[in-house]
Amino acid sequence: MTFINYVAREINCKIVYYGPGLGGKTTNLQYIYQITSAENKGKLISLATETERTLFFDFLPIDFGQIRGFRTRFHLYTVPGQVFYDSSRKLILKGVDGVVFVADSQEERLDANLESVSNLAANLKEQGFDIAKIPYVLQLNKRDLPSAMPADELQRQLLVKGEPVIEAVATQGVGVLTTLKAVARQVLVELRKSA
Amino acid sequence: MSSDNFNLHENEFQRIEAILAKMQNELRAQLVLLISRSGQPIVISGPAESIDCTALASLAAANLAATDSLANIVGERDFSVLVHQGRRRSLFISDLLKRFSLVLVFDASASSGLVRYKCKRTTLLLEDVIRDFQRRIEKAEPVMSIPQFTDEEIEELLGRQNINEPFN
Repeated sequence: MTFINYVAREINCKIVYYGPGLGGKTTNLQYIYQITSAENKGKLISLATETERTLFFDFLPIDFGQIRGFRTRFHLYTVPGQVFYDSSRKLILKGVDGVVFVADSQEERLDANLESVSNLAANLKEQGFDIAKIPYVLQLNKRDLPSAMPADELQRQLLVKGEPVIEAVATQGVGVLTTLKAVARQVLVELRKSA
Repeated sequence: MSSDNFNLHENEFQRIEAILAKMQNELRAQLVLLISRSGQPIVISGPAESIDCTALASLAAANLAATDSLANIVGERDFSVLVHQGRRRSLFISDLLKRFSLVLVFDASASSGLVRYKCKRTTLLLEDVIRDFQRRIEKAEPVMSIPQFTDEEIEELLGRQNINEPFN
C-alpha cells in the first residue's frame, strides 16, 4: 500500500526482502544502512534471536530524496527465512509494494530457494497480491562461494516472470544497491500506472 | 498494488490532525499517531523529539498483526486493543477498520480507563473520516492525481543514490 501524503508531499513505499534462511536478507539491509548517510536513514531495527537469526523482521527506513517535489521514502523489511516462521512472514507482507527475493547461490540450498519462492507466491496470494504482477527482483547472492551454482542455471530454476536478476555478494556490498534501485524503479513505475 | 494505494488529501489530513490534537490535549498524551496497518505513520500529533515515530509505527503495526494472529489461535476474531504499561510511559494501540491503527504514548500515571474511553471516542471520529475518503475512492473523485513522473525523473532519483558499489 503506497501511501501518498499530499500535505507533507511524501510518497511512502514498503519493500520486503524474502528468501530462505541464512541467504543474506539481513546482510543486504545492514549494508544499505552502512553506506547511507545519517540524514537519509532511520534506525535499523532487528528483531532477532540471541544467535542473531531473524525472529520477526528487520526494518530500515531510507529516504531517496525528492521526485516532482515529493519526498520518497522506502521502508525496507526482511522476513525470517526459517521455515517454521511462516506466520511471521505472512504478517510482514501486509501492504507490500515490492519484493526482493534473495536467493542463496550454493548448490545445496537450491531446494530451500525453490521452497521459499513457492512459499512467497502462496503468502502473497493470501495477502491479495499476485507474484506475476507485483514489482519483483531476483537477487542471486553469495556469488563468491565455491559451491555457487552457475548463475544462468540458478536463474533458470528460480525466475518467476522475467524479473530483473542481479548477482550479488551482500557481505561485500556487491549488487546490493543495484538490487534496491531495481525494485524501487519498478515500484515507482507501478505507482505512476495506478493514476 | 494500485487498488490498495492510499492518498491522503489536505482536508482529510487536517480533519485527522484536529481529532488527534484534541485527544492529545485532553489526555495530555506525549504522542498520538494514526498509522497504516502496513506500518507507515500517517498523521502525528505531539512533541515527539525523543521518540522515533517511523520505528514506532513499524513496530506497532507488527505488534498488532502478531496479536491478531494470536487471537485467531485462541479462537478469538481479534484483540482490537493493546496496552503496554511501563513505569514512566505507557502505550495504547487500537485497531481502526482493519486498515489503520491509533497509537498513543501517554504518561503511565494517567488513568488507563480514561485513556481507553477517550480512545474509543476518537476511534469513532476517525472512522467517520476514513469512511469519507473510502467513499471518495469508490466514487473515484478526481481530487488529486498521482504524480506522473517521467522515466527520466525516476532515473534521476535513483542516480542520486550514487554510492559506488564494489566492483562485481
